[in-house]
Amino acid sequence: MFTSDTREIHSAILNLYRSRLVPVGGNVTAAVFPFMKIFPADFCLRRALAEQRIDSRSIIIETSSGNMALGLAIVSKLYGFSLTIVTDYACDGFLRRRIEDLGARVEMVPAPAAIGGYQQARLDRLNEIRAESEDHWWLNQYANPANPGSYGSFAAQLVEGVGHIDCLVGTVGSGGSLCGTAGFLRELFPEMTTVAVDTFGSVLFGQPEEPRKIRGMGNSILPANLDHSAIDEVHWVSAAEAYKAARTLHQKTSLFCGGTSGAAWMVARHWAIKNPRARVVCIFPDDGYRYTETIYNDEYLLGQRLWLPELPAAPRIVEHPLDAGQGWSCMQWGRRGYAEIVKPAEHAAAAR
Amino acid sequence: MISSHNPSLHAESNAISFRPGKGRSIAQHGELFQGQIEDENLQLRRCLMSLPCNAMYSEAAFTPDTSGTFVVTPSYKSKVKRAAELTREHLKLPRLGGTIKVESTIPEAKGYGSSTADCIAAARSIADSVGHTWAEEQLAQLVVKAEVASDNFMFSRAVLFAHREGVVLEDYAQNLPKLEVIGVDTSEDSYVDTLEHPPARYSWRQLQSFRTLTGALRRAIRLGDIRLLGRVATASAVINEDFLPKPRFREVMRTVENVDALGVAVAHSGTVLSVLFDPQDPELDRKSEQLSKGLRRLGVSDVRRFQT
Repeated sequence: MFTSDTREIHSAILNLYRSRLVPVGGNVTAAVFPFMKIFPADFCLRRALAEQRIDSRSIIIETSSGNMALGLAIVSKLYGFSLTIVTDYACDGFLRRRIEDLGARVEMVPAPAAIGGYQQARLDRLNEIRAESEDHWWLNQYANPANPGSYGSFAAQLVEGVGHIDCLVGTVGSGGSLCGTAGFLRELFPEMTTVAVDTFGSVLFGQPEEPRKIRGMGNSILPANLDHSAIDEVHWVSAAEAYKAARTLHQKTSLFCGGTSGAAWMVARHWAIKNPRARVVCIFPDDGYRYTETIYNDEYLLGQRLWLPELPAAPRIVEHPLDAGQGWSCMQWGRRGYAEIVKPAEHAAAAR
Repeated sequence: MISSHNPSLHAESNAISFRPGKGRSIAQHGELFQGQIEDENLQLRRCLMSLPCNAMYSEAAFTPDTSGTFVVTPSYKSKVKRAAELTREHLKLPRLGGTIKVESTIPEAKGYGSSTADCIAAARSIADSVGHTWAEEQLAQLVVKAEVASDNFMFSRAVLFAHREGVVLEDYAQNLPKLEVIGVDTSEDSYVDTLEHPPARYSWRQLQSFRTLTGALRRAIRLGDIRLLGRVATASAVINEDFLPKPRFREVMRTVENVDALGVAVAHSGTVLSVLFDPQDPELDRKSEQLSKGLRRLGVSDVRRFQT
């Protein structure tokens, strides 16, 4: 499927999106991606090709309202695959126009499902489309092992640039980047602390599901790629806090990043202050250009009641996911399984 | 390529000047890394990095003649004869023959690279006889041809070596940092035939791990970071445990963790295992003693201690 010429173009394009390691104060190094999701998208397609799950006739299909959709649109174009993206209103105009410009079909679901929200509604629609033709291949970033498995080169870059890593901080959506990178790094540093950053109303670490204002972190369903037993510490950060953090990061360092990067930075900085001798790495998954009219626009933030005068200094420490709320909260997860912490009965009671 | 003082060995000349040659090679004590990575053409290559060991060696004494055939003692060292023939080809001296006497202190089929050492020593002894000095890359190519797959301790500097093609995949252009090594044999009564042993079939996930490990290796050697080097060796040992399990590997690993060593390097075709320490560690003697005790409890005895 590849000539040497297209292979060269392909790897050059991918190179544009590689992360750079930037010291962001104290003992924290940020891995700053212009756009991280292109790497798992690319690797999932390469694995599917190697395993002969797809060929030139295949139509790639995926549900995403964010960066995975754009990442897939870029690599599908590079490989010459057709692509269908099932998404919802959260896929903003900029993203949608770019995905369509790359030749992908964009399917919007009109309303959330009764249980599982928009994510479930998107899955339902995805399955309808898959039934239309056998040529569809669902990438399934939430369960595809090639998603976390794609971060070996990134882990190589981290360890080559930073050396011994004591703590990795990253936001969680599919679980791919944080659990994937931590898995590779822990082959060298089994004792490394892994800190997950989630948001309120996300079920990932046992909060009851609620509509969420921030995209790119949090989830309404539990993805198989999130390995709870790999996580030492969980933080819940609100959209307003994440946005304020992104703005503060920009004001302090000139790094122009999205809200998930802001959240990761805020948590990493806090962890690093508590552990001044530790070497901390945090993952910044995308740059800020998609958010010029939102995160970087005070009028928008004020209008949406997402404007914060100041960044919180420290999280509230909680013992259980159901106690998290009213702003930045932190819990020691202790590499436990989901079911060890989240009991369905408590959950149901909390949801009422 | 051939030194001017000894032109008589050339094919067109009948006169032969007999000048005996000597060659020597150290051994290895397992590998710091073994895996499979993509080369610059995205071709997957099996590769390794030897942990050199100068506590054992092979020595070859070459007595040249014009018989055109080589006689090797001991005669069962067939790879040595092949190495001698390839050396003759390389030197472009078709009439060269002679006897090669190999004396080695390196046990065979354990993972010490005994046959690689024999081939290196023999090739060096013949080169010495005609006043030739090997470029390490060329010697590596030759040894791989002589024995299908070879270790890489013919290099004095650190390299990541494709041991089936005989090419350097990554040249770190500097020496390995110094390590203190306590070597053990996890199974004193078993042996591994390098050629019969099937090559590891790594999963795609393990291939991705090798990317991370080689990134770490680059830094470890560049900065002389032996702590990181120990971690790489251990991680490589753990992955390869899937393909050539070492007897009592888990128990040995637990003992190693208890003494706070830097890591372990295993023989990926053999039964030896090296426990790595910082030569500057002030606690070294105490740790070494504690390790020996722990290993003895497992029925594993430490066989030697050396510095790289």
